[in-house]
Amino acid sequence: MHAERRTRIPWALPFTVVTLILGFMLGLQYRLTSGTRVPAVATSDQEAERLQNEYNALSAQGQALQKELAQLNGQLATYEKQTAGSNASLQAVQQRLEQERILAGTTPVTGPGVTVTLMDGLSTGTNTMDVLTHDWDVRSVINELFTAGAEAVAINNVRVVATTGVFCIGPVVKVNDDRLAPPYVIQAIGDPKTLKATLDMQGGVLDMLRARGVRVTEPQIVQTLTLPAFTGTVQTTDQTG
Amino acid sequence: MIWLPVLGLIIGAAIGFIANVNIPVAYSSYLSIAILAALDTVLGGVRASLEKSFDATVFLSGFFFNTLLAALLAYIGEQLGVDLYLAAVVAFGVRLFQNIAIVRRVVFGRIGKRHGKEAERAEVEA
Repeated sequence: MHAERRTRIPWALPFTVVTLILGFMLGLQYRLTSGTRVPAVATSDQEAERLQNEYNALSAQGQALQKELAQLNGQLATYEKQTAGSNASLQAVQQRLEQERILAGTTPVTGPGVTVTLMDGLSTGTNTMDVLTHDWDVRSVINELFTAGAEAVAINNVRVVATTGVFCIGPVVKVNDDRLAPPYVIQAIGDPKTLKATLDMQGGVLDMLRARGVRVTEPQIVQTLTLPAFTGTVQTTDQTG
Repeated sequence: MIWLPVLGLIIGAAIGFIANVNIPVAYSSYLSIAILAALDTVLGGVRASLEKSFDATVFLSGFFFNTLLAALLAYIGEQLGVDLYLAAVVAFGVRLFQNIAIVRRVVFGRIGKRHGKEAERAEVEA
C-alpha cells in the first residue's frame, strides 16, 4: 500500500503540471486560430435555397411596387392636368411641368421615336473583347441619342434619366439599379427622322460597333413608343453604389 | 488520481481560452510546434507509466526541453529560410503514433489478461 502510493504520486504530479501547460497552450492556440477563421457564409444547400426563394419573392414584390409607383405617378399627372382646368396661366405652368417631368423621366412617355438593338456578336477566338457589348457601347449610343435631341430614352424598358449610370457588372450591364443582359433594346422618343439619321451616320456610333463585330440592328422608326417612368430614387448627394 | 492530469488539462485549456493573453500572429507557428512536442511528451509519459518505467525527471525535462527545442528549431528554420519546423512535425508526428500504438497494445493486453484470469477463476469455481 505504502509502496504503491510512493510510485503513484511521482507520476501524477508531473503529469498534472505538464497537462496544465499543454491545456493552456491548446486553449490559447484554439482561441487565436478561431479568431482568424473565416465564418462559413451559406451553411447548407437548404439555407442557400431558402435565401434564394426569399430573394426571388422580394424582388418580385419590388417589381410589383415599382409598377404601382409608376402608375400612381401617371395618375397624379392626370389629376394635375384636370385641376388646371380652364385657367390659362395655370395651364401654361402645368404644361411646363409636364415637359420637365418628361425630361426628368418621372412620368411614362408615349410618342414617336426609334428603336435599335445591340447584341453580342459571335466570337471567333481571340476577338471576344471586341464582339461583346460593353457598358461604354450602350453609353455612347444613348449619348448620341440625347445629343440628337431625344426627350426620353430607355434601355430594355429601364428609363434613362440624368442620374442614370450605365456600368458593366461582370457579364451584365447595370442601368440605374437594374441589371440588364443582352440584347439591349434601346428606345428613344424624339424626332424620329433626326434620331434615325444620327444613328445611321456614316462612320457613326453604330458603324463603329458593327465594324467591331457587335450585332446591331437597323434603327427603326416607331410611331408610338411608350417608355416607362423612372421609379428609383434620384441621388442628389455624392453616393457610390 | 488518474483524473488529476485530465482535470489539469481542462483547467489549463479554460485558462488559455479565457485569459487575455495574446501572441503575435508571427509566433503562432512556434506555439503550434510547441503544442505538438508537448503532446508527444505527454503520450510518451503515459506509455512509460504503463510500461512501469516512468521517471519524473526524464518526463519533466523532456517536456520542457522538447517543447523549447521544437520552437527554437522553427525559429532557426525561419531565420535560415529552411522549413525546419517540418522536421519537428514529422519527428513528433511519427513518435506520437508510435506512442499511441504502444499504449493501445499495453491497454488491450491488460484487458485481455484480466479477462483471461476471470475465465480461469470461473473454470476453477466450476
